[in-house]
Amino acid sequence: MFPRKPTNWIVVALCLCIAFTSFAPVALAQKKTAPVEATPPPVNAEFKFGEVDIEILEQADLLDARFDRDGLVLADEATNAYLRRIGQSLVPRDLKLERVTWKFRALRDPQPNAFALPNGSIYVTTGLMTLIDNESQLAAIIAHELTHVMRRHTYLSNRSNRKKFLTMNVMQAVGAYAPLSVVGAVIMAVTTVAPFIMMATIYGYSRDLEREADLKGIDMMISAEYPPEEMVNVMKLLDKDIEGENVQLFYNDHPALDERIKYLSSYLGARANTVTPQMELNRERKLYFQKLEPMMRHNVQLAINAARARSALYFAQRLVDFHGDSENLFWLAESYRALGPRAPQLTEKELTNSGKKDASKLREKRTAEEEERDLLATPLGKDNWQKHQQLAEELYQRALNDENPTPVAHRGLGMLYEKLGRGTDAVVQYEKYLEQAPAATDRERIQRRITVLKEKQK
Amino acid sequence: MSARSFVLKMFAIAALLTVCGLQNVQAQFLHPKIQSKETTIRRVVVLPAKVNVVRDSMKGPEGMAAESDELSTRVAAMVAEVLSKRKNVTTLTPAAGADEQKYNVADFQTKFDDLLPRIMKKRSDVKKGRFSMGDEVLNMNLEKGADAVVFIRGEGKKLSGGKQAFNLLVGGVPAYLRLQIGIVDARNGEVLLYTDPKFPGDPTTAIDRLRRALEDGFKKLPEVKAQ
Repeated sequence: MFPRKPTNWIVVALCLCIAFTSFAPVALAQKKTAPVEATPPPVNAEFKFGEVDIEILEQADLLDARFDRDGLVLADEATNAYLRRIGQSLVPRDLKLERVTWKFRALRDPQPNAFALPNGSIYVTTGLMTLIDNESQLAAIIAHELTHVMRRHTYLSNRSNRKKFLTMNVMQAVGAYAPLSVVGAVIMAVTTVAPFIMMATIYGYSRDLEREADLKGIDMMISAEYPPEEMVNVMKLLDKDIEGENVQLFYNDHPALDERIKYLSSYLGARANTVTPQMELNRERKLYFQKLEPMMRHNVQLAINAARARSALYFAQRLVDFHGDSENLFWLAESYRALGPRAPQLTEKELTNSGKKDASKLREKRTAEEEERDLLATPLGKDNWQKHQQLAEELYQRALNDENPTPVAHRGLGMLYEKLGRGTDAVVQYEKYLEQAPAATDRERIQRRITVLKEKQK
Repeated sequence: MSARSFVLKMFAIAALLTVCGLQNVQAQFLHPKIQSKETTIRRVVVLPAKVNVVRDSMKGPEGMAAESDELSTRVAAMVAEVLSKRKNVTTLTPAAGADEQKYNVADFQTKFDDLLPRIMKKRSDVKKGRFSMGDEVLNMNLEKGADAVVFIRGEGKKLSGGKQAFNLLVGGVPAYLRLQIGIVDARNGEVLLYTDPKFPGDPTTAIDRLRRALEDGFKKLPEVKAQ
């Protein structure tokens, strides 16, 4: 059967036309795996603001204010000034961008991430700053984010998405009124498949913009005398999935990390051959750690609070390797205590995509305490628990034997003893802590623990 | 019956079911200590609410940051009002602290965000006293006399004119507001109450519906007897 009414033909033609135009970007996006040799200019000069863009800009300003108000921005002037210095060295001189005010800030979040708002606010999480090794790698991250702002990616992406959503809704409406005939069946089939194609194009476009930001970022790094190969090293570090949470989904808004490493390495080519003394200096690990040590300690605390004990351990060990003072030893001890019955590293099976998916499902169901209880019921969990408690105790003692011992090590030891059922020892440690840190913000909490323990002892 | 009228009828039924679903009895779950009156909530500190609303249009969802902020403030104020008027619970206002205090509150809000999906997965386990946020709650140093801390989260959707017309013709999720409210013991972090009031309608303007939904949401919470 073929459609007889001309209106039906028009509807079919319209559906097929939309379907084909939707397929084309998917096909093109898939072909773009070869390295791009010439990247577009750093600034999108043709961009003109529209009403929709102004709305997005207003939302971005409000989001900035919300991050501040909610205590998510790290109020550490040294860290933010450091980010600002790197950011400003990457922005081309005399560049004036309409409706952009550059702000570079650290976000208190242990998950490695960075993002840019279209108003010029660049955020790098404490988790990402702690994961990387040197200033050049931080510059690579900022250069990537700067490109998103300079090339107006958020606005372009929003404009493109709006068109695609409108198409999807129109298709849905057409599908709902499809007649019961062969034409209707065709229309139904096309309108059912179309949303998936549209989603693929939305993500495909997002991946193209990410790729552009990666490549443009390399150019900006070279201009500012940062060794460009550090961009590749950042990707390798991001590939280090400590918590086993990088699950490969059907749709991804960023290119896969291995693909990014591949095209970045290919794009680098001869660009990585020139090495200046300044570039060498910017690769210095020690200088980077010296500048950001307090922020890194803060991040270990955030990782422990967020039940990311493996990350906390990894970061704290790096801190101790850099500088084994009392405070860093304390954070390593805290990380071992938080790790409890968990293994310090995930197994190969746990790092497979299906393993990560299973773990994610389990995380949604169980609280951290329930996870610990379940692990303690296994011989391996018990073994880990004993080993980690012992290591934690040794590290707390080392922190207390340091030249300038930190009082919080007494608190940590107290908590460890309390968990081990050594109530009297715990009280002694808690009391020492309160004596040495009388203005501690957690005074009430510790005082309450002492009261409860003393009552139990009676 | 033609195919078109059949499709329309199905969408109408689906829309009706969605609306009925949203108007369902508010689910409330109390910790056994509240039910057995071992713990009484007399004074609470209501932490800043985090309610997000989006405007759904034919061109996709659009953020409403200003309206979300305004609604968050309104919801927090209304929770305090409902608790005071209906349950005789006093709301204490915590003094604004320095950066460290701000961090402590922010971290505890994040901790609630982490716990919330697990509570929502099995809300009835609140009745078994399964969920706790630990004694770190004391680190917030809110108010000495507070018995509990109130956490408010929510999400809502407002429809543009075009989307409303589209929903009438094709079907779809109507405008709504859904809240998740947890009351946590201020001394040991145990989740004492969990309720998720919801209502259909424009979340930014339906003030009376919001109040009614909150009143229903706290129905099971025992009223504090005047001393």
